[in-house]
Amino acid sequence: MEKNNYWSPYIAGAGIGLVLLSAFYFMGMGVGASSAFARAAADVVQRIDPARAEKISYFSGYLKSGAPLKDWIVFEIAGLFIGAFIASISSRSFGFRFDRGKNMNAVVRFFTALLGGGLVGFSSRLARGCTSGIGLTGSAQLAVGGWVFLIAMFLCGFFVAFILRKELWQ
Amino acid sequence: MNAPLYQYGAFSQDMSFVVAILSGVFFGFFLERGGLGNPHKLTGVFYLTDFAVPKAMFTAVLVATTGLYLLSDLRLLDIGRLLFIPTYFWPQAAGGALFGIGYVLSGYCPGTSVAGAATGRIDALVTIAGIGAGSYLFGVYYPRIEKFYVSSPMGSATLPRLLHVNHWVVIVSIWVLALIMFALMEDKVSREPAGLTTGT
Repeated sequence: MEKNNYWSPYIAGAGIGLVLLSAFYFMGMGVGASSAFARAAADVVQRIDPARAEKISYFSGYLKSGAPLKDWIVFEIAGLFIGAFIASISSRSFGFRFDRGKNMNAVVRFFTALLGGGLVGFSSRLARGCTSGIGLTGSAQLAVGGWVFLIAMFLCGFFVAFILRKELWQ
Repeated sequence: MNAPLYQYGAFSQDMSFVVAILSGVFFGFFLERGGLGNPHKLTGVFYLTDFAVPKAMFTAVLVATTGLYLLSDLRLLDIGRLLFIPTYFWPQAAGGALFGIGYVLSGYCPGTSVAGAATGRIDALVTIAGIGAGSYLFGVYYPRIEKFYVSSPMGSATLPRLLHVNHWVVIVSIWVLALIMFALMEDKVSREPAGLTTGT
């Protein structure tokens, strides 16, 4: 186990705030993440079974250009991976691992990661965005939806963490 | 006033993709350095043991909201050209609640799952696959959900317009609440014995 050498979250947060502010200034929109996953899902379904993809009306907005991955948010997420990789290599915090809470075995961890991810993907579409696209961007715009999303997320997160406090992360 | 630059045609779509990659690189760098590629730190807030997420998140919101409305008031940015997040009250409340469950279970949100994978976490790759699958299932079930999805629309409602106050009243209130919250978090962490919150 390596020692953590993370920065103060206030410094990292201020950096993220400046990224968001410059996205407003340069692009007229904030940062996001979850719709890159939805575009990737639409792209995969279209490659495997174009007839099925065509039947999913929700994906038509992504697929009508013919190139669902040629979008701002997909490039942003590619950059996010590169930036986080540079940060973890340069700070020597990179390391292959199957990270889990100390009371989780590998099977439990596989299913919490998969099912939790599934819920995150589904709910991001329902809310029209995730912690980045709605939580950060919406809240910084003072948009009502951003604050509604964040408050609901934290309240429900506290509730679930309390119920499953032994089984998950602590 | 010619910002937001892209909205005023200052650069091409291809150039906007370069801006996207650069934005992402800095975003990812700061996420990882803030410890937000680490699911132990990402979930610590829900156990009141590690407050990296709310500290980073609310600092980011304070910087961006103060900067945005300052640029707008100084007429350096046309906020009328900003793409505001549309509010659909109940879908976003329900989405946020479901998201909270998924976040605690997986230990990641979409952006941080990518940051986690970039630090070598295989479990983050499983979560990424899950997020893709969840997005696909939303698409499949969309016809049944659509009625709820478009319910309680409030357009580009903002807190200052909803409360009929100047935006600085809201921004200063957020500053005050955030600073109180930060002080409580620092106090709570300083009372805990060291070593309880360190994840791998």
